[in-house]
Amino acid sequence: MSRNASWTALAVATLLGSTALASGAFAADPIKIGVSGPFTGGSASMGVSMRDGVKLAVDEINKAGGLLGRQLVTVERDDEAKNEVGVQVSKEHVVATVGFANTGVALASTRFYEEAEIPVFDNVATGTAVTKQFLPPDYENNYVFRNAANDSIQAGMIVDQAVDKQHFSKFAILADSTNYGQLGRQDLEAALAKKNLKPVTEEKFNIGDVDMTAQLLKAKAAGADSILTYGIGPELAQIANGMSKLGWKVPIVGSWTLSMSTFIDNAGANGEGAVMPETFIQVGTTPKRKAFIEAYQKAYNIDRISSPVSAAQGYDSVYLLAAAITQAGTTDGPKVREALEDLKTKVDGVVTTYDHPFTTTDHEAISKNIPVFGIVKGGRVAFWSKDDEAAATQVRVKGAVN
Amino acid sequence: MEILAQLVVSGIAVGMIYAVIAFGYQLTFATSRTLNFGQGEALMLGALVGLSLTQWLGFVFMLPLVILFGLFQGAVVEWLGVRQSMRAKSEFGWIMATIALGIIFRNLAENIWGRDELKFPSPLPEEPISFFGVNMLPMEVAVVVGALAMMLAVELFNRRSIYGKAVVAASADRDAAGLMGINTSLVITFSYALSSATAAVAGVLVGPLKPVGATMGAVLGLKAFAVAIIGGLSSGFGVIVGGLILGIVEKLTGFYIDSGYQDVPGLLLLLLVLAFKPAGLFGKTAIKKV
Repeated sequence: MSRNASWTALAVATLLGSTALASGAFAADPIKIGVSGPFTGGSASMGVSMRDGVKLAVDEINKAGGLLGRQLVTVERDDEAKNEVGVQVSKEHVVATVGFANTGVALASTRFYEEAEIPVFDNVATGTAVTKQFLPPDYENNYVFRNAANDSIQAGMIVDQAVDKQHFSKFAILADSTNYGQLGRQDLEAALAKKNLKPVTEEKFNIGDVDMTAQLLKAKAAGADSILTYGIGPELAQIANGMSKLGWKVPIVGSWTLSMSTFIDNAGANGEGAVMPETFIQVGTTPKRKAFIEAYQKAYNIDRISSPVSAAQGYDSVYLLAAAITQAGTTDGPKVREALEDLKTKVDGVVTTYDHPFTTTDHEAISKNIPVFGIVKGGRVAFWSKDDEAAATQVRVKGAVN
Repeated sequence: MEILAQLVVSGIAVGMIYAVIAFGYQLTFATSRTLNFGQGEALMLGALVGLSLTQWLGFVFMLPLVILFGLFQGAVVEWLGVRQSMRAKSEFGWIMATIALGIIFRNLAENIWGRDELKFPSPLPEEPISFFGVNMLPMEVAVVVGALAMMLAVELFNRRSIYGKAVVAASADRDAAGLMGINTSLVITFSYALSSATAAVAGVLVGPLKPVGATMGAVLGLKAFAVAIIGGLSSGFGVIVGGLILGIVEKLTGFYIDSGYQDVPGLLLLLLVLAFKPAGLFGKTAIKKV
């Protein structure tokens, strides 16, 4: 009996010792943050800028001592803007993942984070449905968060801008055939319908299309006085170039992708004057933004950020996550989610200051009052009007009601 | 009427691009009964190499170097991918090999030229020219003229020169040509080189009309494949007609039916041709004697 007891004691001691050792090793382990984005292909300028923004924030946090006494490491995976590759990326063992520049990839991948109870931050992709797939009460908890201006916000802003500020009345909607383009088109239609308006025509195009003649001629024949776009850089450039070819030029107002360098560079003079909502324009209107732009330029040795919106949102997403991990005191997924849904500290980001950005039912950090309008001018994105510039000098925080 | 004419003109420009790439498929099929499924990537590499060189040399002097590069690239594809599988008498090895090489070239291009789509400076003015109310870009005219000239040059070479006759002989009957003292494996290498060179030239022709980047070849290569099947893999005239049909039908469908269905009629035509005239609209049906 006594012999047995001593054996048990020994076994318990060994067990305790080993768990102590294990947890000791655990404390020193770095915190793995997944970064999923398109680093190749037509939307790479968004993915790469986002990734670089993420890395900048991670480096800053690590220099300041890390989180919970642990360093952060990024696990970067190229999802190639393909839904199925994004799903594979989601099988990585990480504490949380930030990323997604493509709505389709975000929709397809987030399910696996939801099932694994790992918080996932969509910091670029804008499809309205992304944060709404796993809403309670159908699901116990929603693990998908976003700090990008979603398409229903953007579409509403685009329509307000086109109708109220630029006084257009006949809209041709040109959208690509991806999830992004088609969901965005629906949001545009809904926003127009709220004003009792209808587009004069709706046209589709595919990624990689050489020529937009048919779509543009249809818009012209329908008597459009403006074009509302939902697509990505290279094809948007083809629209602007196609209009110049047909000798028919009407203003373009569209989603934030009109700020992509692939649009600005490939459209050249034909792209000047395109107008889009932006959460961030590469102008140092506040000290925080100025510091971010300078740090980014220094770290990556560039002048013009390829996609400033993606870079800023990528950067902010890490700080939001970091605040939640600090508050939770653990990297445990459900605890971090709870912390995100009730963030007690204000997070001073590049886009805005996040004050209680999320609740259990609202996982969107960006509200309609935050973005401003930009215009392509001289190969860069500038503020559309003095009002937009003035608005950008203040930090606009999320409104109480969306 | 003006709209119809405009659609047809734009369709012709796009169609001729498809036709040139499809012509490249034919060149290798004629000599070796194999195709380079990396043809789109050959076009992409031509466009990107051309883009880099044009900054130093200008468009005119860049062109011969791009042709040389295309010849070299095609020879590499044949040497690494096709020859091995033909030697091993593998029926399908070359399919996988040329697809794999295409992926390798695409990744290579992403590493060299980056992932963003780039602007190819146009050698001709970018102001459209108007012709009875139909607008076209000077570069679109150049694509049509350039494509026709290139196909004509290759045909003339095949018919008039002694080397070309070796190519024709090898495509007529490879074994007999070999017995007549023609180095058929060299002819096959050459046909691959020529095929990639035409694709590379197509790349620099289409470059000023479309953002160029590592992924630009995929869609074009696929559509050109459809054109090659529709027109027939043995008829040079067939690919021109096939290209024009596909290009024009795309534009007409986009306008008169729905731009979302742009690509459907072309693919339907492909299915119809495969079902009723498998050798293509202009292809010669040959009975394979076993």
